[in-house]
Amino acid sequence: MEEKGRIGIPRALMFYRYFPLWKVFFEELGWRVIVSDGMGKRGKLIYFEDSCLPMKLLITHSMDLKEKVDFLFVPRIVSLHRHFIMCPKFRGAPDIVRLATEGTVSILDETIDHRTKKDSMLRSFLKTGRQLGADEKEGKRAFQKAEQFLYHFQKGWEDRINRLPLNQLFQIDVPVPEEKKERPLRVAFVGHPYNLFDTDVNKDILSSARSLGMRIVTPEGLSENEISAQVSDLSKEIYWSSGREIVGSLFHFLSGGVDGVVFLTSFKCGIDALLQEFIKRRLKVRGGASIPFLVLTLDEHSGREGLTTRLEAFKDVMEERKSNSRIVT
Amino acid sequence: MKVTFPHLGTMHIFCKAIAETSGIPYIVPPETSRKTLTLGVQHSNECICLPFKIILGNFIEALKMGADTIVMVGSGPPCRLGLYDLVQKVILEDMGLHFRWLTIPPRLTWQTLWKNYEETKELKKELSWKNILLFPYALRMGWQKMMACEALEKMAMHVRPREVQQGETQKRLKKALSGVDEARTLRTLNDALQRGKALLQETEQDFSRSPLKIAIVGELYTVMDPNINRGVEQKLGELGAEVTRTSWFSTHILRSLRKNKGDLASERVRFFEASKAYLGYDVGAECNLSVGEAIVRSKEGYDGVVHLMPFACMPETTASGILTRVGKDWDIPILTLILDEQEIEGRIQTLLEAFVEMLQWKRKAA
Repeated sequence: MEEKGRIGIPRALMFYRYFPLWKVFFEELGWRVIVSDGMGKRGKLIYFEDSCLPMKLLITHSMDLKEKVDFLFVPRIVSLHRHFIMCPKFRGAPDIVRLATEGTVSILDETIDHRTKKDSMLRSFLKTGRQLGADEKEGKRAFQKAEQFLYHFQKGWEDRINRLPLNQLFQIDVPVPEEKKERPLRVAFVGHPYNLFDTDVNKDILSSARSLGMRIVTPEGLSENEISAQVSDLSKEIYWSSGREIVGSLFHFLSGGVDGVVFLTSFKCGIDALLQEFIKRRLKVRGGASIPFLVLTLDEHSGREGLTTRLEAFKDVMEERKSNSRIVT
Repeated sequence: MKVTFPHLGTMHIFCKAIAETSGIPYIVPPETSRKTLTLGVQHSNECICLPFKIILGNFIEALKMGADTIVMVGSGPPCRLGLYDLVQKVILEDMGLHFRWLTIPPRLTWQTLWKNYEETKELKKELSWKNILLFPYALRMGWQKMMACEALEKMAMHVRPREVQQGETQKRLKKALSGVDEARTLRTLNDALQRGKALLQETEQDFSRSPLKIAIVGELYTVMDPNINRGVEQKLGELGAEVTRTSWFSTHILRSLRKNKGDLASERVRFFEASKAYLGYDVGAECNLSVGEAIVRSKEGYDGVVHLMPFACMPETTASGILTRVGKDWDIPILTLILDEQEIEGRIQTLLEAFVEMLQWKRKAA
């Protein structure tokens, strides 16, 4: 099929959950998808606003793409759940990108808000499709295909994060290799997807963890029921879907099934700052959590060495605990 | 039972009035001080917004003074204010403090009623019929006191840049507010208000001045409480600028009761409409209004805008990014002050002095 043009997708924020869907959708409509390069080794961060690192990365990646593409895809994700919302910064993200790129590139920024319509995602993509000259039938077909693709992609997620090099996580055509060595420790890594899987944010901490012999588990594999079972008895509903997912999955993992839990958070992330305090205090008040728990706060100044040192210490704690419990039993 | 509530500007005056008039025992937390802030900071995460730390500090101090029931306003998404109670409850519990918590819901729904039901049931046992019967009158008293405080503050904002003796207005405002605070009935309240107004009016003024016009926009807590913003409003006034702001208790209460009709509503709508050139969606809290108000004020011929926000405030961070562009596009100087627990009173003074001086130069050049 003839190529209609190029669509740029910044490698930031919800890219780390929905990229397969986005890619298939646009390719089905005959557009070429270009993903930004990332910061690279000597990459420079663009400080347009004083926000958290993932948000700064969105701007940096968008600037990287602005001359290479016809359209920039920065959806306005307000809500991905019937009752819960996303971080308020997501609502203004396309506007910030528009100001930063100074109108040099057209931005596709249709709103996704699942509180208003259940099929808001589909509607938003149909609108985007229309802007790209596709009619409703084509759009629907492309979206269905994309959705199915995402479903299959997510099924193989745990194998991907454990076997592929992290910079190839979202290179969809790369086949997943066979498991090479035994990893004795099962460790849950919890956080926003863009903290967990963006190597510019976390300095590739998942690779370090893997080489230390940890098998990685993420909240992506948990079902809605498992999460809501943990948060339904709170005195107030946590209304950010990501925050709710983090609290729910942390409590889930801390109640058993893994050897340790690592919480990755960005400095200045409002949601994490508040909920982190809540989690720590609640664990103290309720007691009972004997699983090692590590909180790592990341920003553009954190270095890989420092993170690795802490991870190594954490590994020792987990192994100690494991050998102790073996003696007891 | 001893009720307590957080500090926010002049809120203690009318919260106290409500408790006092209906005969409910209460404890006003000590005025927000360095110690309050230290307590709040000690018991929270560094990136939680400043209002959280200060409110927490207020509660800790009040509970240590013997209060046992906390009354706190609730809020909804998307800002963090809506989850303050969830987190603060756990922190206070972890500190080993005993208390009961009553959230005043921002909107009455069945869910909020149900969540409050348990607490209210307990409280009811301790309230006498007299308390309950007096409550409507107490609410009215509180409302009137709030309006009186706001009227006095607005007047002071007008008088301050024209005062001959620097600091005179502030002294008189304090006196007038304590007059309002001491009033016990609606009639004495009215007298106190009139006396206070006269007191402010009598300040020696130089009417030949034409003060700079500056609008204060931003997150409501930092805009409304002089202890948090280190008296930005007073400092600007004493530097010779007439200050306006649209964040008042009455505006926010009326808005959440959906009773904002007429001028008030149209003003907010006007700001919101103006922000649409930059923001395609309602980001939440005061973000869009901060952006919109800066644009509207520029059109109205204001000299400058001061934008206040707590460190790491989620909606206002977006606003501050956009405001830098607004300032360029509309040719209006905008000073963003990010506030946290650091002792920056001296720095704020210097920044404001430089800002005002710059505005005066700009005015001369025009």
